[in-house]
Amino acid sequence: MGIDIAHYHGWHGRLHSPWWACLAIVRVALLQVFRRKLYWVVIGLGLLQFLFFWSVIYFLTQVDVPNNMRRDMHRMIGFSPDTPDGEENGYIKFMQQQSVVVMILLAFSGSLIVGSDFRLNSLPFYLSRRVDRRHYIVGKLLAVSAVVSILTTIPALLLFFEFGMFTSSIDYWVEHWDIAVSVLAYGLALCVVLSILLVTVSAYLQRVAPIAITWASMFVMLRGLSSFLQAYNQDDRWHLLDLWFDIRQLGKLCFGRFQSEREFHLALWALLILSTVCCVALVALVYRVRAVEIVE
Amino acid sequence: MPLVDIQNLSRSYGRVQALRNVTLSLEPGTIGLVGNNGAGKSTLLKVLLGLLAPDGGGGTILGCDIRHATSTLRGRVGYMPEAAAIVPVLKGVEFVTLAGDLYGMPHRDARRRAHEVLNYVGLGELRYRRLEEYSTGNVQRLKLAAALVHDPQLLLLDEPTNGLDPEGRLAMLQLIDDLISETGKSVILCTHLLPDVERLCQQIVVLHKGTVIRSGTMESLRAAVSNRYELTWQGASEGFLGGLRAAGVDVSVNSHPNKAVVVVPSDWSTTRFFALARAGDCVLTELKPDVEDLERLFFRVTEQESSRESAQHDGASRDSGEVAAGETAAAIEEASSGN
Repeated sequence: MGIDIAHYHGWHGRLHSPWWACLAIVRVALLQVFRRKLYWVVIGLGLLQFLFFWSVIYFLTQVDVPNNMRRDMHRMIGFSPDTPDGEENGYIKFMQQQSVVVMILLAFSGSLIVGSDFRLNSLPFYLSRRVDRRHYIVGKLLAVSAVVSILTTIPALLLFFEFGMFTSSIDYWVEHWDIAVSVLAYGLALCVVLSILLVTVSAYLQRVAPIAITWASMFVMLRGLSSFLQAYNQDDRWHLLDLWFDIRQLGKLCFGRFQSEREFHLALWALLILSTVCCVALVALVYRVRAVEIVE
Repeated sequence: MPLVDIQNLSRSYGRVQALRNVTLSLEPGTIGLVGNNGAGKSTLLKVLLGLLAPDGGGGTILGCDIRHATSTLRGRVGYMPEAAAIVPVLKGVEFVTLAGDLYGMPHRDARRRAHEVLNYVGLGELRYRRLEEYSTGNVQRLKLAAALVHDPQLLLLDEPTNGLDPEGRLAMLQLIDDLISETGKSVILCTHLLPDVERLCQQIVVLHKGTVIRSGTMESLRAAVSNRYELTWQGASEGFLGGLRAAGVDVSVNSHPNKAVVVVPSDWSTTRFFALARAGDCVLTELKPDVEDLERLFFRVTEQESSRESAQHDGASRDSGEVAAGETAAAIEEASSGN
């Protein structure tokens, strides 16, 4: 075998702080996700929903449509017919619907973004450089958060921008700045919860099938169980067992819209449960991310 | 300043003691870390790199404390792990760029440098291929490129020829050899393939069950065996070999009937070989000092260590047996006097 050896040249530069490496980890994780054609199908589904909302807002604001049809369109996207001004509920509905697509995407991409590092022994590759497990974990959490944000927060902010642009422009944005803040807060909550859960599950289970099954169990089976227990005991607090329900309550908390005092308390409980689950998952994740597998 | 200076380093995995009080002082150069599987070579590398925290002891590499200055240390050290350790879906150049980014290089520099080192290790034409398409040999080169990207002062290579075919192994050794001679970088090569170490390394550290049993240059380790000779003769063997044995020479006859490796007593004079050959009715045709290769050196020192350990173990068992017998006798005596 011939060896093509060019001359060796040294490098004399200054190294940045290892925290900068988190951005590299995010960049590479996004590359991994967006290079898989299968994931584009799921991303396409998310995009379709966004285009649907975008079109409905366009029609509502730009096209002269009959009142009954306008009411139907308002109902469809969740904006109140009486105040067709991009009220908060529309954005919650959009983000929650997008979250379904996000969950499917995450169930399949967890193995690629995180699981493969454990399965293919790539962890020493990361941790033998200047990054340690703090940087690695933050990088991976940011990577999953980026995937979540691309499909939820950013499109929701684009809808907010669109609504203002097609209606009263800057007045709408100035008067309803709190909507943008709520979207950001809910987006942040989604990112934190979903990234911690996904990275931890993927670090332990590694392969696509077990991750997808566990992910589905967490968000579908628990939902069924909580619905059953709620119906059996006639107590809506059983819904708190359902993580999906808890995340929705978190959304309501971010947008500050509650029908009753009880609903508000339920949302606070949901916040407590999600915080506990995330803390436990984070501890398990830190324990799992070690440079070297300990072999007895 | 020594390259590596560690004292009483220990590390265990549960009940298994992987490193026991390892004390080493190594000068810059090419160092071979050899030992059987499970001797603690990889563990030592990981502890040196800060991937594993030592249970006891400490030290410095390139002047950086291995317990506390791990980030600074890794900025000066390039590590090539034994495992494939690839990131799927990435292309070769992206993988090496990522390594540069993880070291903290500015992204543009990391990218440029990735192209340079990939050319250097002979993967210039494959750099835009996905990692899944790389052969084992190319993955090894890629890992070397990833270890070199930030131009480290010291390279830690963990089994760099692992899984390679003979041709690939030779090519990898040639690459490392050229790298050492061209750049003068220090290298710690961890392998159980002794010919690789013999070809590349000036200093050797022999690990056995987590302990350093020998360390030094090849010459200094060989000096301890300057009393070995290789003999070739013509004629009858019995008389000559009998004479040698009678004179206190340790004779090992190999597959050739007229050749032997002998270990002579300390006051031996080589002229006695000729005298004994004449007396045994044969002619000594070749007499040369038997230069021990690393493989034989390794087996000798590990065997010596194993014998020493078993002798210690036997001694300890005998002592404990004597103590137990003594205690039993005392107890019987006490019981009988009580009666």
